[in-house]
Amino acid sequence: MKKTLLVPILGFLILAICTFYYLNPSPEKKTKQKKIADEVFTTQTFFKNEIVDKNNLGDFYIVNFFASWCKPCLAEHPLLMAMKEKGIKIIGINFRDDEENFTTWINENGNPFEYIIRDDGTIAYKMGLIGVPETYFITNDEITNKIQGPLFYEDVEKYL
Amino acid sequence: MLFISSALAEDTALIDYYKSIRCLVCDGQNILESDTEFSVNLKEQIKKKFENGLSIEEINNELISIYGEEISFKPSSNHYLLWTSPFILLLLVFFLIRKKYF
Amino acid sequence: MINIAGHIFLYLPIVFAVFYYTRSAKLNELHTVLTTRAIYICSLIPFILLLLAFATSNFQTLNVLQNSYINDPFIFKVTSAWGSHEGSILLWVFLINFYGLIFSFFHKKNLIHKQLIFISQIFIIYILLSSNPFVSVNIDVNTQGLGLNPILQNLLFVIHPPILFLGYLGLIIPFVIASFVLTTKEHENYLFQQMLLWSKISWFFLTVGITLGSYWAYSELGWGGWWFWDPVENVSLIPWLLNTALVHSLQVSIKNNQLKLWSLNLALYGFIAAVFGTFLVRSNLIVSVHSFAADPLRGLFLIIIIGYLLVTTIRMNLKSISLFNKDTFQIVSKESFLLINNIFFICAALTVFIGTVYPLFSEMIFQTAVSVGAPYYNFTFNILLAPIIILMAFAPQIKWQKNETQNKLKPLIILITSFLISLICYYIFNNPFFAISIFITAPLFIKSLIVLFTKFKKDLRFYSQWLAHLSIGFFIIAAVSTEQFDTEENLLFQKGENNQITLNSGGSAYIENIQNIEMPNHVQILLDMKILEGNKTYSLSPSKNIYQPSGQITNEVSVVNNFLHQYYATISEIESDLVSINLVYKPYINLLWFSAIMLIVGIFGSIIRKI
Repeated sequence: MKKTLLVPILGFLILAICTFYYLNPSPEKKTKQKKIADEVFTTQTFFKNEIVDKNNLGDFYIVNFFASWCKPCLAEHPLLMAMKEKGIKIIGINFRDDEENFTTWINENGNPFEYIIRDDGTIAYKMGLIGVPETYFITNDEITNKIQGPLFYEDVEKYL
Repeated sequence: MLFISSALAEDTALIDYYKSIRCLVCDGQNILESDTEFSVNLKEQIKKKFENGLSIEEINNELISIYGEEISFKPSSNHYLLWTSPFILLLLVFFLIRKKYF
Repeated sequence: MINIAGHIFLYLPIVFAVFYYTRSAKLNELHTVLTTRAIYICSLIPFILLLLAFATSNFQTLNVLQNSYINDPFIFKVTSAWGSHEGSILLWVFLINFYGLIFSFFHKKNLIHKQLIFISQIFIIYILLSSNPFVSVNIDVNTQGLGLNPILQNLLFVIHPPILFLGYLGLIIPFVIASFVLTTKEHENYLFQQMLLWSKISWFFLTVGITLGSYWAYSELGWGGWWFWDPVENVSLIPWLLNTALVHSLQVSIKNNQLKLWSLNLALYGFIAAVFGTFLVRSNLIVSVHSFAADPLRGLFLIIIIGYLLVTTIRMNLKSISLFNKDTFQIVSKESFLLINNIFFICAALTVFIGTVYPLFSEMIFQTAVSVGAPYYNFTFNILLAPIIILMAFAPQIKWQKNETQNKLKPLIILITSFLISLICYYIFNNPFFAISIFITAPLFIKSLIVLFTKFKKDLRFYSQWLAHLSIGFFIIAAVSTEQFDTEENLLFQKGENNQITLNSGGSAYIENIQNIEMPNHVQILLDMKILEGNKTYSLSPSKNIYQPSGQITNEVSVVNNFLHQYYATISEIESDLVSINLVYKPYINLLWFSAIMLIVGIFGSIIRKI
């Protein structure tokens, strides 16, 4: 009987360890997907009416999900523009958006994207999108990093 | 939000399935209950796949491979410790009680 | 002003308590009682001050500034006092001392109050260190406040936390009595009777709180669900289950002088479970609908408190384990049935606990994030509860201590009859879950009918017990039929088209009117919708509210009763030229709420019998 009293202590210790473990949550979310959805390279892009040219992209490029109804997208927009200035190629994927709103949004805010693909959600689903904005960093056709939510200066400092 | 959540299916199997999928951007709600873009899109995608003839199990496997196990409210049977612990506990307590009281 | 007063009355009880601990040996009885009451009363004041600050929109207090808006209705201004983390912990302290104060009129034993005050002081220190609501802020005169979370602008939602807290903290009295019994080794019957009374009071409030919370979720969240197995719901269920076990095992302890150590431990762990629940919600360790945006540091303090409670519990157990005799039971006797009931309830509580913390464990050990939700609980919990329900039919009429062999045939006949009834139900409704639920509950109903017509002494005790047990039967039938037979439709109305939509169930629905209503702190888009079914018309008025100043949108559900069934409508999408409505038909949902009320009345009856 005396030994059974120790069971709650054991449970408590596990819980306490958990608490300490979660005290400093690691900011990095491991990407489960390593590959980019095929649809990115087979769908017609919006303004240019062609498909994405892999040779044009080079070794390193960025895939960015955005929408005109998404307020945080506007917040990260200047960073995307700055990256474009530096010659980084960005594929913009316009997630579940109205065509008219989307074009006015691009006209008003500027276009940082090399290619724009309009997506009804299929590509987003394949890439495991949680919400817009979401940014994928791709080196040699493999997703190396993924940032959920708007980009901050620190996230892209090394590219600027 | 411009897309209408027309993804609601009449199929009860699908509705039951939606109930077991977690909306990852909401706190602890399933995708049937939540109206976020994430849930609405997921419902549409799942419905599309279902209508294309994929079984719920196939859809579920694909979903888990994309979003991880977190997406499903039903932990897989790999978590046998979780699934069996209530019954192990019950047996254990009965065993202890029998020795002590009867 | 209020901030300074708040600080004073947070420090004052600590000063008093220190005085009380150091000098208590020298004080006479009257002075001891007066000092304890003074501490209790002082600790009540900070929360009252916070209420005052919210009521007068005193924006010099940071907490008020963050959680209130000047144009909110008065009632919500007051209730937002416990809408934030700081406020609710202060309410927690308030209620501990409230219970302490009342308890000091029932029971004057110094040792008990010493421990109660110690626990309450720990929480006051916790408030001062990590969640002080009386932080001052400099503001200009025109500040209007940052606004209250719209979800908190619902009367049901704002009253359910205090009631749930009354339930949680009611457990502190059994906790201190149990530790008194264990440390002093006095185990007279009256102490156990007091424990029973207070655990019933807590049980009453827990039941009311859980029911209100569940009804809130049903009427607000908008998808017709009433229990989501959300971590916060789970942690309120754990104390409830333990408390239910406690109330039953205390009967054995009082009547039969057995299972005493068992009951004492249930009382101790019941309160620990309540604190654990708070810990889990506050620390944000587990994401849930209800999570406060809190930092894990707060959780760290709370886990230290839990650690303290646990260590004292175990130390007391080790000290006095030899005190209690070895209990022996006859297999067919009331006490053994109550013991079996206890085992199932405790296992059910542990199951909920394991399911709730497993995601933490899994992410740490296996590095995989999992979600444990309804499918898991529905499977394990239901299997664990089914035997209790069958037992419940037979246990109340079995005699204490006797091993009777004469009546073996009767239960067998009842079981066979229920099996036949459930077979018929399966044949008619073609739903295995419904048939199983009938099989489980039928003995209870049959037995109730038999008992009602048999002659023996029927007093309040009998009626309240019978009502409580019967309510569980109704609850199970209602819950299973609501879940199994509900239908759901998404109706899309478009401008210019025919306004009438035919429902799958045979009736038809149309929209009569859409209007915008300006309220002081929100704009309401109200829909007037009618359902025609035969020659009956049901009107529903779901709405969307857009709140100021945050711009947050909430969906207001509208329900209409059809005897025990309900139509349940929410606006899923509204634009200038189209409206889409989610319409759910919930059969027997009202029976579910009715059964909860029955249980509450039953518990209430058994409390007044004692007083």
